[in-house]
Amino acid sequence: MGEEIKVIVFKLGSEEYGIEVDKVQTIERMLPITRVPKTYTFVRGVINLRGVVIPVIDLRGRFGLPEGEYTDQTRIIIVAVNDMEVGFIVDSANDVIDLHTDRIETPPEVVGGIKAKYLDGVAKIGDDRLLIMLNLSEVLNKNEIIQLESLEE
Amino acid sequence: MDMNQYLSMFIDESNDHLQSLNENMLLLEGSPNDLSIVQVIFRSAHTLKGMAATMGFEDMASLTHQMENVLDLVRNEKLAMQDFIFDTLFKGLDALESMVQDITEGGEGKADVSEIVASLQAIVRGEDPSGKGTGAAAQASASAPKVGAAIQLDEFQYSVLNQSIADGHRVLYLDVHIRENCQLKAVRAYMVFDLLERSGEVVKSSPSVQDIEQEKFEHSFSLYYITLKDPAELESQILNVSEIDKVTVMELDQESLQQMSELGSASQEAAAVAEAPAKEEAANAVTTQAEAKEQTGQKQTPQAPAAKTPSKTGGAAPSRTIRVDIERLDVLMNLFSELLIDRVRLEQLASEVQNHALTETVEHMSRVSSDLQDIVMKLRMVPVDTVFNRFPRMIRDLAKSLDKKVDLIITGAETELDRTVIDEIGDPLVHLLRNAVDHGIEPIADRISSGKPETGTVHLRAFHSGNHVFIEIEEDGRGIYRENILKTAIKKGVVTQEQASAMSDEEVNQLLFAPGFSTAEKISDVSGRGVGLDVVNAKITSLGGQVTIYSTPGKGTNFSVQLPLTLSIIAAMMVKMGSEKYAIPLSSIVETGIVRKEQIRTVHGNKMVEFRGQHIPLISLSKIFNIKDFNEHEEAETEIIVIHKGERLAALAIDEFIGQNEIVLKSLGKYLPQIKGISGATILGDGQVALILDPNVFIK
Repeated sequence: MGEEIKVIVFKLGSEEYGIEVDKVQTIERMLPITRVPKTYTFVRGVINLRGVVIPVIDLRGRFGLPEGEYTDQTRIIIVAVNDMEVGFIVDSANDVIDLHTDRIETPPEVVGGIKAKYLDGVAKIGDDRLLIMLNLSEVLNKNEIIQLESLEE
Repeated sequence: MDMNQYLSMFIDESNDHLQSLNENMLLLEGSPNDLSIVQVIFRSAHTLKGMAATMGFEDMASLTHQMENVLDLVRNEKLAMQDFIFDTLFKGLDALESMVQDITEGGEGKADVSEIVASLQAIVRGEDPSGKGTGAAAQASASAPKVGAAIQLDEFQYSVLNQSIADGHRVLYLDVHIRENCQLKAVRAYMVFDLLERSGEVVKSSPSVQDIEQEKFEHSFSLYYITLKDPAELESQILNVSEIDKVTVMELDQESLQQMSELGSASQEAAAVAEAPAKEEAANAVTTQAEAKEQTGQKQTPQAPAAKTPSKTGGAAPSRTIRVDIERLDVLMNLFSELLIDRVRLEQLASEVQNHALTETVEHMSRVSSDLQDIVMKLRMVPVDTVFNRFPRMIRDLAKSLDKKVDLIITGAETELDRTVIDEIGDPLVHLLRNAVDHGIEPIADRISSGKPETGTVHLRAFHSGNHVFIEIEEDGRGIYRENILKTAIKKGVVTQEQASAMSDEEVNQLLFAPGFSTAEKISDVSGRGVGLDVVNAKITSLGGQVTIYSTPGKGTNFSVQLPLTLSIIAAMMVKMGSEKYAIPLSSIVETGIVRKEQIRTVHGNKMVEFRGQHIPLISLSKIFNIKDFNEHEEAETEIIVIHKGERLAALAIDEFIGQNEIVLKSLGKYLPQIKGISGATILGDGQVALILDPNVFIK
């Protein structure tokens, strides 16, 4: 019993990822970021989004991928989950597609270097495109981050 | 009639009256023979009764009515105030408070008050629960006020009229005849009422207003009217209304008022309609319940006199204040914050563009917006009195239950604080006060043996100082003994023996705030649950304030609470650290300066600088915050900002001063965890975010 959902598609490296459109507030070009010291390593800092201060995280850093340079394709996707507003820095974001939930399959253990628990599943779109659906509340789960950070120290 | 719109007004006013009742009862307890206080109390109780009855809260009305009866005896010197009477009245007030509370929460304000009512009635009957019955005199007078309640004027209306005469108002009895050929009697009557209500209050009319509106009267009606106007003038004004045939205006004094009401009572059966001054209304039953019901009945008549009386007895001067929903003020504040950010941005743009006209306009706008800021901030300011006013009563009860004698002296109750702070500060203060009375003030015997007056004194002071408001709670009790605290702290494992011996007195006092610390050996129901002061401290810290303890063993203790004036806009010094900008709240800055490299000394591996004759630590912000493009060690001269936390000082090494600014506090969002040393963020004129430092963290 699936349904049709709209998904924002963005890129990290060569992989394509998807976030349900109703969790996305806006997509912005790169904005000046103020560094916040003494916080998670993948938190780039905070931005001023029309008068609201919002933390932004580098999704590459969050997933342990090598961090790249910011280009004029780089975008900040502002998502709102569990009353938290957070910006994701992604390599590019330029597509919205319709997706039937039935086509989302349980992900294999590791996709593109990202642990399965951060994923809702993988959807095949078109002939050779794979869309990785993110599990936002898991990506923003702070308990796990704290463990992660303590391991690094 | 829809009562909802009046409900919030009723709740607000009831709370005001309860508060004033509480305060005046306490005053009266101090000087039981001051009848002027009794008058004030009586009036408040009376108004409260009227309002409760109008709104249909019968239990409340009947309880206030009984209290009023007791007060009436006191006021007429038929009964002397005694301890048990005070206690009973206070109990009554408590019951009223909980009823109002219930109503506030959407309940019906019902409560079982029969016990209190019974003991109040016993007092009226002159019975003393201790058995020394004071006799029949009181009883006789108890029924006295009821005489007035006999006819068309119920007791309530009668006493309103009576009171008005006593207050120097004119009470008039008007008899108005409308021309017999008049087609629109009700309209003419309405015009008369309208005219009258412009310059006074119609307390009672006959036939009832409702009947008059429905033309259920012949050609005349009569009414009781309170005004300050000249009767003759009034008469001519009424005659100016078309189709009014005749007006009789009679001014009443207390005696004639009583006669009138008795007359009415005699003729009430005969006079079903008009002409005669008596009304069709049935004589009031003398019992309280019946009266309460009677008054509830009236609330259904929109213009019933009872609905009007509260505003009148409340005082003649019209109020110059309005009540505004706090949420609207919050919205106003938020909007203003946005404006402030744009203002700073405009200022910046103007200074770049260098256009004379633009600069002038922006400067003017800045001035206007600073004035606006003052006003917006002031709107949110509330005198601390709104928190303090419940303390005298609390201390009284507390002292009684602990069998101590305590005077609470409040100063600076008019000091104003931001509403948000006021809302939060109540509980911590209650805790500190309870603590002062329970742990601070010694039992009477101990006080006498140590040569102190038997009554302990607790000072509750509020005052402004700079950008802060201080609230101090000082008592002349036993004081804090270093050894006692250390003993407990070591026993509870808060500190070790070695740590303890190295601690300064101040640090020892701060141990009181450690979680799970309580010096009271016995747990009393007042305080000493061991979850006291640390909660107080946490609360006050979360408000951006701090608590400091000063104590002299044997002489007393002072808990000094420092609070910020407001929570949302602060004055700050903007500084640059390499490419990054930070804001430091002005409230924690002592001064700014420059030190040369050779002035920096190293003591035990810590950098120190000399400041006004003492050595203070020099803290490297760039190191703490990992700032990459600035390092003060590379500079021959370093700018410093001297900050303070209480008495202690420290210097922050910074790169460059930008200047002083009003900044709007913003949170960093929910996602980021608490960061040590950073209390929030603000948006600068150029749209960038700057972090706000929390300098307190840097001083240990």
